[in-house]
Amino acid sequence: MEATQNTENPLHALNINQTMGLVMARAGLGKTAILVQLALDCMLMGNKVLHVSIGETVDKAKSWYDDILSLLSDGEKVSQIPEIMRNRMIMTFKETGFSGIKLEERLKDLIEQDIFQPRCMIIDGYDFADNGRDALVELRDVLNRLGLRQVWFSAVCHRDDGRQSALGVPSPCHDVDDIFNTVLLINPAGDTMRLDVLKCDIQGVKPGALLTLDPSTMLIQKTA
Amino acid sequence: MNKDLNKVRNIGISAHIDSGKTTLTERILFYTNRIHAIHEVRGKDGVGAKMDSMELERERGITIQSAATYCTWEDIDINIIDTPGHVDFTVEVERALRVLDGAVLVLCSVGGVQSQSITVNRQMTRYNVPRIAFVNKCDRTGANPMKVTQQLRDKLQLNAHMLQLPIGLENDLVGVIDLVTMKAVYNDGDNGELIRIADIPADMLEEAKAKREALLEDVSMFSEELMEAILEGGDIDPELIHAAIRKGTLSLELTPVFMGSAYKNKGVQALLDGVRAYLPCPTDVTNMALDLKNNEAEFPVTNNPEDPLIMLAFKLEDGRYGQLTYVRTYQGTLKKGDTIYNGRTGKKVKVGRLCRMHSDEMEEIDECGSGDIVALFGIDCASGDTFTSEDINCSMTSMHIPEPVISLAVIPVDNKAQINMSKALNRFTKEDPTFKSYVDHETGETIISGMGELHLDVYIERMKREYKAEVQVGAPQVAYRETITGRADFNYTHKKQSGGSGQFGRVGGFMEPFEEGDYEFADQIVGGVIPREYIPSCDKGFQKSLEKGLLCGAPVVGIRCAINDGAAHSVDSSDIAFQLAAIGAFKEGYIKAKPVIMEPIMKVVVEGPSEFQGAVMGSINQRRGMIIGTSEEGMYTVVEAEVPLSEMFGYSTTLRSLTQGKAEFTMEFASYKPVPKGVSEELIKKYQAEKKNG
Repeated sequence: MEATQNTENPLHALNINQTMGLVMARAGLGKTAILVQLALDCMLMGNKVLHVSIGETVDKAKSWYDDILSLLSDGEKVSQIPEIMRNRMIMTFKETGFSGIKLEERLKDLIEQDIFQPRCMIIDGYDFADNGRDALVELRDVLNRLGLRQVWFSAVCHRDDGRQSALGVPSPCHDVDDIFNTVLLINPAGDTMRLDVLKCDIQGVKPGALLTLDPSTMLIQKTA
Repeated sequence: MNKDLNKVRNIGISAHIDSGKTTLTERILFYTNRIHAIHEVRGKDGVGAKMDSMELERERGITIQSAATYCTWEDIDINIIDTPGHVDFTVEVERALRVLDGAVLVLCSVGGVQSQSITVNRQMTRYNVPRIAFVNKCDRTGANPMKVTQQLRDKLQLNAHMLQLPIGLENDLVGVIDLVTMKAVYNDGDNGELIRIADIPADMLEEAKAKREALLEDVSMFSEELMEAILEGGDIDPELIHAAIRKGTLSLELTPVFMGSAYKNKGVQALLDGVRAYLPCPTDVTNMALDLKNNEAEFPVTNNPEDPLIMLAFKLEDGRYGQLTYVRTYQGTLKKGDTIYNGRTGKKVKVGRLCRMHSDEMEEIDECGSGDIVALFGIDCASGDTFTSEDINCSMTSMHIPEPVISLAVIPVDNKAQINMSKALNRFTKEDPTFKSYVDHETGETIISGMGELHLDVYIERMKREYKAEVQVGAPQVAYRETITGRADFNYTHKKQSGGSGQFGRVGGFMEPFEEGDYEFADQIVGGVIPREYIPSCDKGFQKSLEKGLLCGAPVVGIRCAINDGAAHSVDSSDIAFQLAAIGAFKEGYIKAKPVIMEPIMKVVVEGPSEFQGAVMGSINQRRGMIIGTSEEGMYTVVEAEVPLSEMFGYSTTLRSLTQGKAEFTMEFASYKPVPKGVSEELIKKYQAEKKNG
């Protein structure tokens, strides 16, 4: 598989420094599961991750990590590896209450006091349809100011909206795809679940590369 | 006595501390003619509210023990359990929820949904208790029942709908608009006892119409008839709306919201109408019992007064009338003089006196039937026991009882105090399953343990006040545990031959982590190398070793000890020899099995103005806490974290000074987790020093 030239773990190939990534899919296909795997990959390497969940509760976001970690650890009790969870903090926002400035306000305090200095950020539930390009650019600037190295967004696309960018990035992100280094699309194809790499600025990973997902767990498959 | 079960409501009143639920209960009793004068919780008349019958409760203005009472509203009998609001007493809340069919969730219209409301709501969900909400204190500055309703939706994920609109707020609160009947309801008279129904004020009509429309749209989901009536247009029969709301409430898919001010006598009667109309009667709820003759198979109780008796003792009290046992009857009928059977002890007891309780006053009755909550006199039992008639043997489903996490030593000052303390502890441990006491064999001290600092504090106060037991109190101790993380073999020979009859026993096998429970013993002996009669001795020896671990003297849990080899001597082997061999074998294996010390971790929720978010998180970090997440609720931020209990002593003072008293926190036990290496070493050192000094 092309996406994983240098490592057996495809996540490492995608999850490198200075990434602004996007995972797209239709509703209910498992975007959060992919984001949580990217976050866990980062956490397992000892890095701090801030999971921003828009429109969901802390408990809901937490249960995603417990479930995925349980799958990854083959049913072993998650409580036995509590140290990993110290690398994660969840921050929730209401749909109407999220903006780059607001995020900066809440996070700055924690970084300055050295309570939590995230290296990676997950932003799940950002409304690309209602927030325009300017808001996204502002958010990107905030993330840069805060010193984030990896940021992953999720976005919902709709079957009945056929608009897409030259790279094949579907609406509502078709006209902001230049802001992202990496764009992945969850693509159900028959019995298999594919993770298409629509865009990737990372050396060695070419657009058009494919990853597969286990349809029952949504875990990214290991390469042979 | 009312025999029609459709006309019985067993309800609890649960909420956040200081949301005014005791005042609300007081008003309910007044309007239902159970009391004839109103006394405030912290009133100047010094009488205190009726439901706060314990002296300590009256003094502190909080409700500690649930007091049961009943009243009649129109044609309905209502049994009410007033429940405590502080998280340390949640076993009281849980016990009340277990026997109740429905509940009123009281919220403060200024404070809204607070962390304790979340805990109480979670408990109600655990027991599938349908609830209605009452937004109290609408007369206070900053009252906003609409915001509170939205919080019920956002924070508790309840499908909450206001059935009323306030007419005026804060000082201007004069009444409410009933969105079902589209009438204004006012409370007149000195104590709000006179209800005046009038037309909706003209300036609120449009708002009321819009709110009603939105209400009907959602409520019609529960009734096709109502949906048809809406589509047809014209006037809608309020009974159709009531029926739809009731259906939604019973299925836990809808939470009707009432509002008012108990203190200012507004909206309480309408809430009682809501209890009557929307909360379930005993036959609306399916309660399960366990058949003890059939491998504890679950079966539903029938509610039929003609069937064999099943009732659950959910609360004990030692009051001025002697021991009182509160019971809920699930099926059958109990008459004065009947003999009943305690499923746990197997003992038969005769019921001498039977009464209905009205806080601390009583009314003798001759019989009680299915669905009733009554008190029995002079019955020796523990809280949670099931009583039945002799022809059946069953138990009501066991309750979720959390393990105590904090303990402290109590030392009586003199001999009289010693005797009184024993009496008090005997009573408290029977009343409250989360409160435990035992004597530490090594120090000879009496140790009490419970769910938090306040929990133990209240019992110490009660010892002093109710039993005149003067005690000195030691520093609080966290209930540490030890466990092993690896597998280790042992092979130990106990041999003693120094005159007289000798002792000999050899025990071989292994120990390993055991996740399904605290301890398991496995006998894998083949060929009789250890004679059968000494196998239980080995088990006993291991169990003795588990009482005090070798690291810090804490009980050992999560361990499986298996024996597969050994040797005996025809003359020198004995029960005690094999017990000692097992103790030796345990010591040999334990250190090799990578033991660790575990500490109780509490789920801590701190809620305060957003400007203090950094300070709150910093304080949690300093306490070895792990921040799970933060969420924003308007001007407030809620921080959820997991913090070791040992670090939480005195946190309320720290939090108060950090946030100018504007933040508050709740905590409950979450799990046991291994302590960090540094802490572990310190605990081991301390234990070794204590052992050395005797």
